[in-house]
Amino acid sequence: MKRVAAVALNTFRETIRDRILGVIILFALAMIVASLWLASISLGQQDRMIKDFGLVAISVFGLIVAAFVAASLVRKEVEKRTVFIIFSKPVSRSEFIWGKFLGLAATMFTVLAGMTVFLFVLAWMVSHSASGSLLLAGLCVFLQLLVVMAMTMLFSTMTSAILASVWGICVYAAGQLSHNVLSLSRVGHSAVAHALSTVVFYLVPNLSAVDLRASVLGEGNHGVAGLLAWSAYLVAYLVIALFAATWIFGRKEF
Amino acid sequence: MRAAVTDAGTPFGEQDMTIAASRPIATRMLEIAGLHKTVAVGFRRRKVEILKGVDLEVHDGDVFGLLGPNGAGKTTTLKVVLGLMRPTGGSVALGVSGLSELGYLPENPYFYDYLTGAEFLRFCARLFSIDAHERDRRITAILADVGLQAAAGVQLRKYSKGMLQRIGIAQALINEPRFVLLDEPMTGLDPIGRVEVKEIIQRLRERGTTVLFNSHVLADVAALCTRIAIMRDGRVIWQGAVDEAVSSCPGGDLESFFMQVVRS
Repeated sequence: MKRVAAVALNTFRETIRDRILGVIILFALAMIVASLWLASISLGQQDRMIKDFGLVAISVFGLIVAAFVAASLVRKEVEKRTVFIIFSKPVSRSEFIWGKFLGLAATMFTVLAGMTVFLFVLAWMVSHSASGSLLLAGLCVFLQLLVVMAMTMLFSTMTSAILASVWGICVYAAGQLSHNVLSLSRVGHSAVAHALSTVVFYLVPNLSAVDLRASVLGEGNHGVAGLLAWSAYLVAYLVIALFAATWIFGRKEF
Repeated sequence: MRAAVTDAGTPFGEQDMTIAASRPIATRMLEIAGLHKTVAVGFRRRKVEILKGVDLEVHDGDVFGLLGPNGAGKTTTLKVVLGLMRPTGGSVALGVSGLSELGYLPENPYFYDYLTGAEFLRFCARLFSIDAHERDRRITAILADVGLQAAAGVQLRKYSKGMLQRIGIAQALINEPRFVLLDEPMTGLDPIGRVEVKEIIQRLRERGTTVLFNSHVLADVAALCTRIAIMRDGRVIWQGAVDEAVSSCPGGDLESFFMQVVRS
């Protein structure tokens, strides 16, 4: 556990100090501020525009960090041969993978927390309507991106960093749409199509199940029990993805 | 306690660093017998045999030079010893109980750009579960040893090649290992850097630490090593004491001896 913590702390330090991360955060904050302009031209919808646009900006820029940083995290260590240093010490492959994931998760939490609090303050200043649901929505974005990170790390143990990033983004997109696949299959009468859709639905992480944007905008309501159940499902999903990544990485030679 | 392995395992197991098997190797720090390594390369996974039956002995307290032309299999041999690669045949036996007693410096090391020298060493010490007080003591001592006290707070991306090589040696020594493996420790260094690295190896020898290093700089090998092995085409073609090598050659120097053996 100490070694996992050491790798995690090291990863957190490396990623949080990376200048590219700083640039991404600046862009995200600029986009959130840009929501003020959009709000000013949307009559009677200022509050909604700021929150909606702000949450989308947080998700999109968080996804960029999740997909691109997670893909390079393990790959870079192999290509730059820092793994020689790590694995010549008493560190197992699983400790390395888990440490890397937890370190990036800490970075992601810091980045998302900063952006969400910024959006919260902005919404409060403009319309005095910011509520705890906005912060909870930010937390759910974090959970969605943890799954994307785990899947991207899994892909990066099998393929190049660029391909792993692309696959990671695909997982996010598919995860937002997976419930639609099931709904569509119910429209037709084909048993095969329904079976296939069900398989796809269970294979692809259902990220939309913890998307609270509609709740924040007052268009829907997620029950606490349902939200907790879907969160547990996503945590289980990312744990399985990381075990798979560990298994594949453990078979590699350097 | 001895770490040993036969055939398709590594000296430290796959992931949990448990020792696969044991057999005593007396005063030997490393004993390699009939080591083979075949890798698959290219799209068609063509098999290439890198190591074709390496036999090697490093004694406790030796400063051992592993010599050979490029592609002879020196780095691969070190990687198999460290468990970074799995052998396809043969055996590796170590005179240490595990990776916690080993130090390793890879060739052309790259470290984490955004960490400072001290942070990097602290990270390495944590991987050995060294407690905080002892960690700080060792980091201070090692930074002084490699002459990097002034650069301890500087990020590694601002280090010169020589400084990176020295911080690389520092990380290899943070656990006070009994056996140190250095892959081309003099590569790319200016004359001052080379002298400094030689002094570090000299100090390790005085402390009784066993050192195995690869090098193409034969003058350094002659000055530092007690024993050497010469590899060519995946095999060890000669091994013995440096004095024996030099005295057996008409040229009377290691370079002449090396050329004679490699061309034979």
